Amino acid sequence: MRKLILTGLLVGSWFCSSVFAQSDYPTLSQINQRLQKLGSNSSAELKTLSKTAGGKDIYVLKIGTGNMDQKPAIAVVGGVEGYHVLSVELALQFAEKLIAEHAEALQTTTFYVFPNMSPDAYEQYHAALKYERRGNASAVDHDRDGTANDNGYSDLNGDGLITWMRVEDPMGDWTVSKEDPRVMVKADRSKGEAGKYLVMKESKDDDKDGKFAEDLKEGIAFNKSLTYKFPVFEPLAGDIAVSQAESRALLDYLFEQWNIFAFVTFSPSNNLSSPLKYNAGEARKRVVSSILEKDQVINAMVSDVYNKTVSQKAFQQTNQGTDGDFFQWAYFHFARLSFSTPGYWTPEFKGKNNPEANYLAWADSLGWNSFVPWTEVKHPDFPNQKVEVGGVKPFMLTNPPYEKAAEISAEHTDFILKLAGMQPKLEFHNLKTEALGNGLTRVSVDLFNNSPLPTHSEMGARSRWLRKIRIDLDSSQDKIISGDKITLVESMGAFEKISYSWIIRGTGNISLKAGAPHTGFATQTIKL
Amino acid sequence: MKIMKTRKAIVALALGALSLGALDANAQHENYFRAIGTPHKPKVEISFNRYYSSEGLWDLMKKIAAAHPDLAKVESIGKSVQGRDILTITITDFSTGKDTDKPAMWIDGNIHSNEIQGGEFSLYVAWYLTEMYADNDFIKQLLKEKTFYITPTINPDARNNFFKEPNNANTPRSGMLVLDNDGDGLAGEDMMDDLDGDGNITMMIRKSPTGRFIKDPLDSRRLMMVGPDQVGEYEMLGQEGIDNDGDGEVNDDGIGYYDPNRDWGWNWQPDYIQRGALRYPFTLPENRAIMEFVMKHPNIAGAQSFHNSGGMILRGPGAEEDVNTYTREDIRIYDAIGKVGQEMIPGYRYITVYKDLYTVFGGELDWFYGNRGVFTYSNELMNPYLYFHKDGGGRGNQDEQFRVDQLLTFGDAFVNWKEYEHPQFGTVEIGGFKKTFGRAHPGFLLEQDAHRNAAFTIFHAYHTPKLSVMNVEEEDLGGGLKAITATIFNERMMPTHASQDLKYKIERPDYVTISGAKVVAGFVVEDEDRNKFKEQKSSPEKIAVENIPGMSAVKVKWIVSSGSNYSISVNSAKGGKATWKK
Repeated sequence: MRKLILTGLLVGSWFCSSVFAQSDYPTLSQINQRLQKLGSNSSAELKTLSKTAGGKDIYVLKIGTGNMDQKPAIAVVGGVEGYHVLSVELALQFAEKLIAEHAEALQTTTFYVFPNMSPDAYEQYHAALKYERRGNASAVDHDRDGTANDNGYSDLNGDGLITWMRVEDPMGDWTVSKEDPRVMVKADRSKGEAGKYLVMKESKDDDKDGKFAEDLKEGIAFNKSLTYKFPVFEPLAGDIAVSQAESRALLDYLFEQWNIFAFVTFSPSNNLSSPLKYNAGEARKRVVSSILEKDQVINAMVSDVYNKTVSQKAFQQTNQGTDGDFFQWAYFHFARLSFSTPGYWTPEFKGKNNPEANYLAWADSLGWNSFVPWTEVKHPDFPNQKVEVGGVKPFMLTNPPYEKAAEISAEHTDFILKLAGMQPKLEFHNLKTEALGNGLTRVSVDLFNNSPLPTHSEMGARSRWLRKIRIDLDSSQDKIISGDKITLVESMGAFEKISYSWIIRGTGNISLKAGAPHTGFATQTIKL
Repeated sequence: MKIMKTRKAIVALALGALSLGALDANAQHENYFRAIGTPHKPKVEISFNRYYSSEGLWDLMKKIAAAHPDLAKVESIGKSVQGRDILTITITDFSTGKDTDKPAMWIDGNIHSNEIQGGEFSLYVAWYLTEMYADNDFIKQLLKEKTFYITPTINPDARNNFFKEPNNANTPRSGMLVLDNDGDGLAGEDMMDDLDGDGNITMMIRKSPTGRFIKDPLDSRRLMMVGPDQVGEYEMLGQEGIDNDGDGEVNDDGIGYYDPNRDWGWNWQPDYIQRGALRYPFTLPENRAIMEFVMKHPNIAGAQSFHNSGGMILRGPGAEEDVNTYTREDIRIYDAIGKVGQEMIPGYRYITVYKDLYTVFGGELDWFYGNRGVFTYSNELMNPYLYFHKDGGGRGNQDEQFRVDQLLTFGDAFVNWKEYEHPQFGTVEIGGFKKTFGRAHPGFLLEQDAHRNAAFTIFHAYHTPKLSVMNVEEEDLGGGLKAITATIFNERMMPTHASQDLKYKIERPDYVTISGAKVVAGFVVEDEDRNKFKEQKSSPEKIAVENIPGMSAVKVKWIVSSGSNYSISVNSAKGGKATWKK
């Protein structure tokens, strides 16, 4: 018997390391190995931006060929939420597929991949005690009682998972769902329903303040601590936006990459299956809080491409951004086109409305063991009440089984490449040179943005952190009789052209160049 | 010989000590006499009728600390963009407790590089407190109870640039980072050019048959516009400079541009909403150093940030979006202090940034209040009222400035027009007011206004909370139990927690602790006469009080089963500590 188990283990580990190279989401060290391998590729540079409070590296992979900084770029970001382990895998697989299967895209586009912005929290997926974690390893006093991190979760049933606890209490406001008796829902007071339970995260009142799991043993959540609608003083956000080393390092890096024109973030927020909605009142305020009118059109167009490329259908997706998150920051405060998708939705199943009931019905149909049955435990804070622990296991609602990741990644890689195919593209057309006599030549040319996207979104045109289009005539000032040596253009619309002309003295070749890092450059030689 | 000298010196010292009491009697033989309100024979002599570079300020701060080791110490709290230290001088009577155990006042200056006199005004506070300590009972008591953290320049790099490099009165406002201001992809490619080499960027004019200006025949320094039917002689070319990058604009990409006072982490907004903001709050190392210092010093209860100019005592909010952040009860305290300030500093008006000045997102005073609950003002130093003690129509009234320069400074403020061969514009004339005139005080007004503003910060600091434990009463409850009630009194205007602080639980509660007694139960007394008490079930010996309002008291009560030699102490982050012993 013992020999059998041993053999089984050996076979298992052999399977894990070679045939099924991976059967679960990777550990941080496995991610690290994959990144090192990617970084050894000639078209990729792997760089460490910072270390988190927990001592973990924050990586960026810059992928491209030739003059990478002069080509429009897309940034792909994973791990903005630590519990969304799929997002890290999608970012990684995108980089792997891009280099292995789509190297031709690097001729025209540069890619930045930030695979994991929350490694401290991500690690909880593989820890002895597993729970959905958002915060890094900084010490933070979330409940502001003067002591940091003094009321986290407690594994009351000892199963290594943090789920939920329900306390029988006629004054509680939770009851059992009619769709699935395993699922707890809020009693509908408007229909006169009475509650039966208190429902809280599996925890004890460690700091004796009457509240449960309100001062978690984790720090600042990356996706709740950026500057757009920063939820100051809220748990996991802290006192000051962008307070953490990894957030500052990322932003400092991004502010120096002038060529990024779009972001694709894998996060619980979504503006791809359906676009953000324009709200005139919110867009007109000086503190802008709606996508701008022209940018909504871009979002809708890209969303359409997404829905034609990705086969999954969004289900009960209401999150189009949360306060202090990254995806909204990239648009509202960094003025780049910004897209986000969770990458995965539980499919709608048997007409269940409650997301947990829907999930469980679907999981049951596939034979997945994803529920911890409600089991009574002794709870020191409720000595005279019945307390049960149970619920959907952590990570299940937001992350599919690992083997699904490859297919999701393939479709999302296609989407990102299609987005790259839409990037701003400047071209010169209709060059004309007319001799005016006495050594003077009139040069006229059209500059054309051969792209369905404008060079600057409506928001982008407002920002000093996107460069203007600069047209440079490479001739000495004294030879230019009329026309500008340098022209700056705020923005060019989709498929827009602008005509220019100069009168130049002399003969020979001069060159004309137009563009900005995030639009790429067009060049033209003019023969006088 | 050497020994002799030493011995003589010792004898002389001894004699000196003996005759200390006789000193006053001998004073009549001296040639200078004590003026009221000013340190007499200060250990550190400072001229408050001139300006100092960053190093000049630091040298004087170090001299103050060396001369008053029991009252002052200097430390570096961080580094500037160019690697200079940000030096802070801490002032308190260290013999009566650690600086961090007392309610504190933060004072800084010069966040905008060209707003220089905040440096000298801050230094004046440090000098005045240390030099008056020995002679003035009020100051002595103040330094027993309070701490001052004073950082005369929080922008040392560009402060030096203002003095040492060519500038006008408005430049540089930023620190020394150089950004791309004209959006052409190049940073700092069209800096200011000091064509006449006098350190001032003034104006350029050019003779032109189509010009609309003439020189005033009564004062040739002044350009005046001709009538609609008259032909002029000069045209204005704008700032002294050259179009270095060939884009048709002069001096259009210099130092900065960004605004260090749009970099703070309360209601921070990006550059397209709030011009001058950088990447995220506290992008600048100078501001970050201050933020980190303030976070580590929760005893800071009041703050002043000196700017120039216009004669204003400003409070937040900086933006209308924050109107509800400042509650009525806190505004009442702001008003009480600010209105006294108006009286102390003639010509200065106490006003609110967003409605009386302009909108500021991410400003320093809003961060201090919104994020830390610290009552904060920004004084806009220098006011044309100070010239002739009349309202001259606000800052930058040229006619008044010419008159000041004629009658009070005798031409010292103006660079007279002088011809210059300009490479792009031909023969021009360069001239205009110097960079140190207009926004900066002339020397003869500097000391007086420094004193008045210093007095205002002292008044502000005086009204940080002062706590005491009083009226401790016992009542025998029988059965070996007794009730003890104690009153915690705050005898200053500021509460231990601003309402903003209470709303967000920014700072921990104040703790009132009884020791030396066995506590059965503990309460905050809500209404003693009506017998209303709020019990604290966990750790009843250490009662958490959420706030001790200004000029009022809270009561706590314990029921104890033993203890006759107990003591009661209060410990508040912003209100300091106090103890009562039986």
